[in-house]
Order: sequence, then C-alpha cells, then structure tokens
Amino acid sequence: MATATAFSAHLSSLFPFSTQSHSHRFHLHCRLSLSTKPSKLLLLSSPTPILKRAIIRAQPEESDTFLFTGDEVSVSAEPAPVSDSAFEGAPFVPPSRPEGFVAPSSFDDGPLETEDELAAAYEEVYGPAYSGVSVLGNDIYVMDSKVKKITGFGSKTKKEKVKDGFEERVVQVRRVTKVVKGGKQLHFRAIVVVGDKKGQVGVGVGKAKEVISAVQKSAVNARRNIITVPMTKYLTFPHRSDGDYGAAKVMLRPASPGTGVIAGGAVRIVLEMAGVENALGKQLGSNNALNNARATVVAVEKMRQFQQVAEDRGIPMEELWK
Amino acid sequence: MTRRYWNIHLEEMMEAGVHFGHGTRKWNPRMAPYISAKRKGIHITNLTKTARFLSEACDLVFDAASRGKQFLIVGTKNKAADLVARAAIKARCHYVNKKWLGGMLTNWSTTETRLHKFRDLRTEQKTGKLNRLPKRDAAILKRELSHLQTYLGGIKYMTGLPDIVIIVDQQEQYTALRECITSGIPTICLIDTNCDPDLADISIPANDDAIASIRLILNKLVFAICEGRSSYIRNP
Repeated sequence: MATATAFSAHLSSLFPFSTQSHSHRFHLHCRLSLSTKPSKLLLLSSPTPILKRAIIRAQPEESDTFLFTGDEVSVSAEPAPVSDSAFEGAPFVPPSRPEGFVAPSSFDDGPLETEDELAAAYEEVYGPAYSGVSVLGNDIYVMDSKVKKITGFGSKTKKEKVKDGFEERVVQVRRVTKVVKGGKQLHFRAIVVVGDKKGQVGVGVGKAKEVISAVQKSAVNARRNIITVPMTKYLTFPHRSDGDYGAAKVMLRPASPGTGVIAGGAVRIVLEMAGVENALGKQLGSNNALNNARATVVAVEKMRQFQQVAEDRGIPMEELWK
Repeated sequence: MTRRYWNIHLEEMMEAGVHFGHGTRKWNPRMAPYISAKRKGIHITNLTKTARFLSEACDLVFDAASRGKQFLIVGTKNKAADLVARAAIKARCHYVNKKWLGGMLTNWSTTETRLHKFRDLRTEQKTGKLNRLPKRDAAILKRELSHLQTYLGGIKYMTGLPDIVIIVDQQEQYTALRECITSGIPTICLIDTNCDPDLADISIPANDDAIASIRLILNKLVFAICEGRSSYIRNP
C-alpha cells in the first residue's frame, strides 16, 4: 500500500500536469482514473462476425453490469463474477477512431534496418553513450566525464561529503573477524549517523577492509534511510516515546529549554545530529551501539505532532488539549 | 493525460489469444477481478479490462515519450526475446533480451562500469587492437565482448536509470520488477492469471505465453512510443 502511493507519487512527478484524481487510495490497485462522458461503448456496439463463446459470455457483463459509478448505474440481476467495485469512474469508453487513421504495421514487418541506420537513430535520441561508435560525429568518451566523479581516486571524492549539507558523525568503528581456512580475515565495521541539524537523521552501517572506506560506505547507507524528527519550536520532542530494536530499548522524553541533550552514547549522537536541543534519553536493555541508534530512530518515528493527530482523527486541534 | 485512439479491438485481441490465461490450479486469487470465465481448465481474462488497461498504458507511454523520457523493455523468455529486441529497436528504446542481471538498476554504478568496459572493448575491436595481441588474449577478450554484447547490448545507449520500464512476463522477471519497485521506477507489466496485479503500476492482464499476444501488446505500446517521440521532436 505504501509502495502504491509511492508509485503514484512518482507517476505524478513524471506528469505534473496530469489530471489524476487521488481519490481511490483505499484500493490496492493504483489506477489512473479517467473522467469520461458516459456514452455507448463503441467497441461492442458493432456486431462482430466472430462470435466466440467468450464474447457472448463476456458481453452481458460489459453492456449491462456497469457497476462503475457512472451516472446510469444499472445493477444487473446476474451476479457478475468479477468485483467491479474495484473500478471507479465511468465505464471504459475508448476514444473514437479519428478519420484518416492508418493502422501502423507491426514492428516485425519490414526489413531489418542496417546497423549504421540503427546507430544513427539511437545516437540522435540518446547521444553516443556506451556504444563505442559514433555515426554522427559525437565524442565517444562522453560518458567518462559524467561518471568518473564517483569513482575517482585521490582527493576528488571529498567533494561528496559536504555537498548535500549532511554532517556525519562516527558512532563506532569495530574490527570484525571472519575465520577462514587460511586464517582470520579482518574487516572494519563503521556505524555512522548522518544528519543536518534541522530534523533529518539517518543511521548507516558499512563494512570494508579499511576504516575510511567503511566510513564512506556507512555514510552512503545512512543517506539512504533518513527520517525526520518531529520537533517543537523549543527544539524538543512533542511527547514521550520508547522504541526498541532487537534487545535495545530506548526511552525518549522531552525537556524544557536549557536542559540540553541528556542521553548516553549512540542515543546522544543521533539526537544531536537531528538538531534536538533539549531531550532526555535512556538506554534500557542492551548497550549495543547500533541497536540503540536504530531504537532511537524507531522511537522518533512513533512520535506524532499535534497537527498530524488532529488530521488523522479529523478533529480540530483544540479538542486534543482538553 | 489526453486519451487518444489506439486502435485496440477486442476481435484482434481474441484472434491473438490474449484472453487465455494459465491453468485454473495455478491462478493468483488477486486476479479475480480480471478473470471473466473458466473454460476447459483455463482461466479467461476479461478483455474489456485488458483493453482499458492497454489504452491507459498507451496514454501514459505516449505522454512520457512526448516529454522525452527513457524506456526500457524487459523480456527474457526465449519465445519473446526476438520480439522484444525488434520492438525496442523500432521504438528506439533500451531493452533487455537475455538474462536480467541482478542489480542492473539498483546497482547502476557497477552496471556502468561494465558498460564502460563494453565500450572500450568495442573501440578496441574497431581500431583493430585485438589483432595485435597474442591469440589467447584476443580470444579471451572476444569472448568477453560477446558476453557483454548479449547481456548489455540493449542498454548500451542508456545513460542513467530509465523512466518507465515495460516488463513482459511478471513471473519470469520478478527480480527486475522488484528492482524497479525499490528504485521507484514506474512499471507497466503484462500480467497473466498467475501473477500479482498489485506489484506493477499499470498491469495489463493478458496472455504472456503466446507470441501473438505479446506481439500485439508490444505493437500498441511501440506505436504509442513512436507517436510520442515524434511529437517530442516536433515541439521539445
């Protein structure tokens, strides 16, 4: 369900001017609803010479049982085997055939184009990219300049750190071992908390053979799971909450301004990177740094602002304070 | 999104056998809304719903193409491999013909490394450097080049993640679908009676076994892409 809404958000980001209505979220299917004038279904109005049984069986459904919420809802007597309630909006009315419409030939027909023609056509649309040949005279190595930045050795990769405004803090770096036949293989596991001090934090883990690359990997991982911390104007939480992850249990409590962050280890770092100024936190349960960091994230995700609760419950905010 | 006429006729879909599903034992109950009947142990999909979804998909694809978005067609069934390649070539899209390598989209940086290697190998082959190497090395490089050609040949013009992905068979391309979901790329998928319609963004209930039905649906989509592209070229 969450993914469906994410998709529609993506689809709507692709088409910012589309006329999608977002009214039917409670369906698992993410359908684009079409607003059409209810008119006769043109496809079925023409009697087809090939009357197979399926059409005869299917026809009564389409012509009569339009349980779509059109204006003329005719609830048919026969039980439709399909749950038409899955569809909102008017029944499917395809647009009429415009005059002079030439049915295009199948892509299979016609001679296969020569390689050069294909290369030219593709290059027109996309540029030479990774094809290695350039029919239109573009530079073949054009992708190098775009990609090299990421995998650059030396000092070039430092640019990434400061660019997106996130600060990183290493919570813990541990040396972990894997025992194989030849001996012990050592890796470093880094736990990094990434945050701007304005309410966004993320916790990430990364393993590598060297400390620096482990820290980088974990920073990349942290940027991928970022949450927002709901904060009041005094830079503290709206209410108490506790979260647990694994065996680590963390209790968070808001505090009056001037208190500062009173919490231990991983919890303190997460709250500081979030920009929370006044809070109390306690690790009940295990002392594992990673799990405690994740538990604070869980606890923070559980928190709701007054605004959100009022919206969810559909009541004005004043009711909440009674 | 403007709705256009896509020349979708129920008769031609029936001729192509789009309405046949898989056996009744193998169905996915979530497909119940799209199944209209059961005949001789095979589910029959409701063709009007197919037509509706197909026209919606064509509209979406036309709109995307008219904004200059990039498409990727994925289909690895050996029956459909040729079709997919030709359809994508006709529409000037990227395609994945042979096995979908895991992480093609989610691990795009590594795929890019492979594409770099592919490009370098091709330039070397063109300039004739391979002939100057000893036979064994040349043979190894040629083998690698042919491998890269089969797996990455369709995406060698892809500069970044695609904007819309069209998947031909959901059961077979499950990894591809999963990757698109995690990367947040909208998908259009051909769904059969044993597939899950909630995974893809637009799922077209159709027959994924018959070549004729795949060809028909790809035809419509490719036509839509071409139209969109031409309108993009006219006014970018």
